[in-house]
Amino acid sequence: MFELLHKKINAIISINEDELNYCKTLFLPKKLRKRQYLLQEGDVCKYQAFVEKGMLRSYHIDEKGTEHILQFASEGWWMADLSSYITGETSLFNIEALEDSQLLLLSKISWDQLMQRIPKFEHYFRIIIQNHLIATQKRVIQSHTETSEEMYLKFIQTYPECIQRIPQHMIASYLGISRETLSRLRKHLVSHR
Amino acid sequence: MAAKKTIAIIGVSGDMGSALAKALVNSNYRLLLMSRDKSKVRKLSAYLKRKTPTAEVAVVECEKEACWEADIILLAVPYRVEKEVAEKIREVTTQKVVIDVSNPLNESYDHLITAPDTSAAEELQKALPSSKVVKAFNTIFATDFTQRIKEGNQIKTFIAGDDQEALQTVSEMATAMGLKPVLCGSLSAGRKLEQMILQLIELKTEENYNNIVGRNMYRHAPITFKSVIR
Repeated sequence: MFELLHKKINAIISINEDELNYCKTLFLPKKLRKRQYLLQEGDVCKYQAFVEKGMLRSYHIDEKGTEHILQFASEGWWMADLSSYITGETSLFNIEALEDSQLLLLSKISWDQLMQRIPKFEHYFRIIIQNHLIATQKRVIQSHTETSEEMYLKFIQTYPECIQRIPQHMIASYLGISRETLSRLRKHLVSHR
Repeated sequence: MAAKKTIAIIGVSGDMGSALAKALVNSNYRLLLMSRDKSKVRKLSAYLKRKTPTAEVAVVECEKEACWEADIILLAVPYRVEKEVAEKIREVTTQKVVIDVSNPLNESYDHLITAPDTSAAEELQKALPSSKVVKAFNTIFATDFTQRIKEGNQIKTFIAGDDQEALQTVSEMATAMGLKPVLCGSLSAGRKLEQMILQLIELKTEENYNNIVGRNMYRHAPITFKSVIR
């Protein structure tokens, strides 16, 4: 149940068996079926989720009822509304399973306990959050400066293993373009390959 | 809108398990039903769906799968098999709320089989050290859930546990079932609550002794005492 997380942790810091066993007592193992929510808008985000299997998406619904996808997370990725998780304020996001998923959830209390007891986890999570921040900043800039085609190509790069698993209309929503534009783009790319 | 919490009821075909399922089906929880008695659990599931067509109810084949998917685990199995079940679900219940409804009674229902310095709840906590065990619902007879609540009586349920958030979770659940939650302190207060059932059984037995003759009293601890109070 912890193989992938253990591998991912060991890629950044190295933990021994005792530390891994302690780690295991803090995570809440959770299965979600497709289309079930981990978080709904208006709730407080109580957990950071590590995806062992399956896929999650986080999205926001605007006043007109349009969905805007912020992030996808497949195997080995973390997902949370960090702002709500850290401040305890209610979330503006929804987090939903795109497939039947297996998650390892970490509450704020457990997170603090983990870093207190094994301080090198501070380093692990700094790297995770740092990477997340970089990706977020790039995404903001990219949405102002790049063409739809460039954005789509970057998307394929970021989520290479997911491209077949995510419905097209969600990819369009993530990129902030219409379904029709995405469809034209894909045809164009195929014909120029 | 809050994401729906999922409750796994383990041992749901027993009197207490099915009473809890029936009391929860109208509230905003998703229910996973698990019992070794496959035909009983299917019947119960069909009954719940008929009674509340909007209810989210699913039958799950094994304890571990049900608990893995759940946020809250209601352990409605007899005390004597709790340890065995705990063994199976330990890995998937870390950090989760596990509710112990059992009463560790002897076969004649006049004595507790746990040592005086412990309780079924504390023993379960030892078996599931990384879970948040809460003692609740053990002083309510199965029939009271359906009959007395329907008659408009608000029944109290005593709740004991060491984790504040878990106590809150179980209190919310109790309220959703139409019960009045009463917090009794740490998990060791489970001893008091398990003693309490002896008094209640004695009272009920005096009132209604004749009804129990000839019934199978040994399968599901105090729960079977629904027959006593009829």
